[in-house]
Amino acid sequence: MPNPNDFAILFDASRCIGCKACQVACKQWNDLEAEHTRNAGGYANPPKLTASTWLAMRYYEGLRPDGEPYFDFVRGACMHCTHAPCVASCPTGAMAHREGGVVTVDQSTCIGCRSCVRACPYDAVHFDEERGVVQKCTMCYDRIANGDQPACVKACPTDALTFGRYQELQALAQERVRVLQARGYPRASVYGLKELGGTHVLYVLTDHPSQYGLPAAVREAEKRAMGGWLSAGIAAAVMGMGLKFIVDRREAFKGGRG
Amino acid sequence: MITLNFPNPMGEEGWGLWVALYFFLAGTGGGAYLISVLYCSQERVRRAALWAFVGVVLGSVLLILDLGQPLRFANLILGGVYPSSVMWLGTWFLLLSGAGLLWVMARPTSRGVQYLVAFLVALVVAYTAVLLTATARPFWNASPLLPWLFLASSATAGGALLQLLAPHERLKRLVVGMALVEGLMVALHLLWTYPVAQGAVLALLVGPLAWAFWGFVVLGWGIPLALERRHVGLAAVLTLVGAFLLRYFVVLAGQV
Repeated sequence: MPNPNDFAILFDASRCIGCKACQVACKQWNDLEAEHTRNAGGYANPPKLTASTWLAMRYYEGLRPDGEPYFDFVRGACMHCTHAPCVASCPTGAMAHREGGVVTVDQSTCIGCRSCVRACPYDAVHFDEERGVVQKCTMCYDRIANGDQPACVKACPTDALTFGRYQELQALAQERVRVLQARGYPRASVYGLKELGGTHVLYVLTDHPSQYGLPAAVREAEKRAMGGWLSAGIAAAVMGMGLKFIVDRREAFKGGRG
Repeated sequence: MITLNFPNPMGEEGWGLWVALYFFLAGTGGGAYLISVLYCSQERVRRAALWAFVGVVLGSVLLILDLGQPLRFANLILGGVYPSSVMWLGTWFLLLSGAGLLWVMARPTSRGVQYLVAFLVALVVAYTAVLLTATARPFWNASPLLPWLFLASSATAGGALLQLLAPHERLKRLVVGMALVEGLMVALHLLWTYPVAQGAVLALLVGPLAWAFWGFVVLGWGIPLALERRHVGLAAVLTLVGAFLLRYFVVLAGQV
């Protein structure tokens, strides 16, 4: 669980109009270069996050099983997880939690090994080829540390983004879900309460998280690594002893005959 | 700030050729040492330690050159203690096993010391798999079999390397046995991960990585198994090629 007083962002998908003002504000404040992209057949552009795109809206459209059309938008960016896989996988301590639970990368100690890029289930960390280090959303730490809101929140014209303390935003999110469920969205839910120890960016969704391309069951990197070591230990023991047994037994047979 | 990016066919963000080559070098050298400690005579152990040392050192050099900031590589050791980071653990395993192998090579050592170093080497080989297992990529993390696959492949390739230097009947049986386990693990891993990583599995079977996958299956696994009785040397060389292709396609398929 994040600390009740931690910084947090709430994204309310039911209020989002998909205008990308947040995406542009992020680029402007953080001085991130525009990218050459191609039409990928959807509204998302760029199609995925990169070292110079820390926030990008994703769009999902189609027909529900009951024939009702849907057109949903979701914010794609760092979730600032409490048990962040990028932090766990960093071998130098460059990727770390700062005061207020915000995850940022120290660009003067990052060695560019890209472990965090592979570790992030939200694909929110990317390698900056020019600088040789990784880049990600900082929750506009330079702004929030001075009492301002993150650039994306400030730019949102429909109050789909809110910035505040974790405890307040968590209560706000749960209240909003109650309202949405009463208004005919039975699958409305809050995403990020349980994922990776609780994320500092919470999403209010009108449908199941998978409908928004959000990973439903994410495991902590530490647990994955422990599972891997355990599997490796069993593998080494079983295969080592198995081979020894087979080789020795064959040898014994030979000895008996010879 | 000095940036020194190593060319990478995957694009610089991906783990590509250099990481696969490093897994292969550390895996094969390490496998040769493990096999020799468990099943071979003393003088072979010291010779295998040399090969493992070369593998570990060359692998480490590739690992460092592949960094976005190679000159900051000392941060891996001096940056602090991060046991939850597989990359950090692996760095220490590489360092300690390198020192241990040097010791085994330099002077006659007791069996106990050799087993201790073998434990470190086994950790290096296993770490190359756990590094992938600990990520958020379904092709790498959905099945627990990647450590099995890399350990089996390291034993096969290490055995083949020893065969190449000095053929031995006992080694031949080992290599064939481990190659069969390796083949089984590849098949099981693909079946296990298919439901969650269809894109990766299809890329291997019929997609852009098919050349590496089928190259491994035919050239690096099937033909060596068939040739093991008659052309030991050729079989060993092909097995080594196969061990590299295996790591290459596993590393790339996870990032499809």
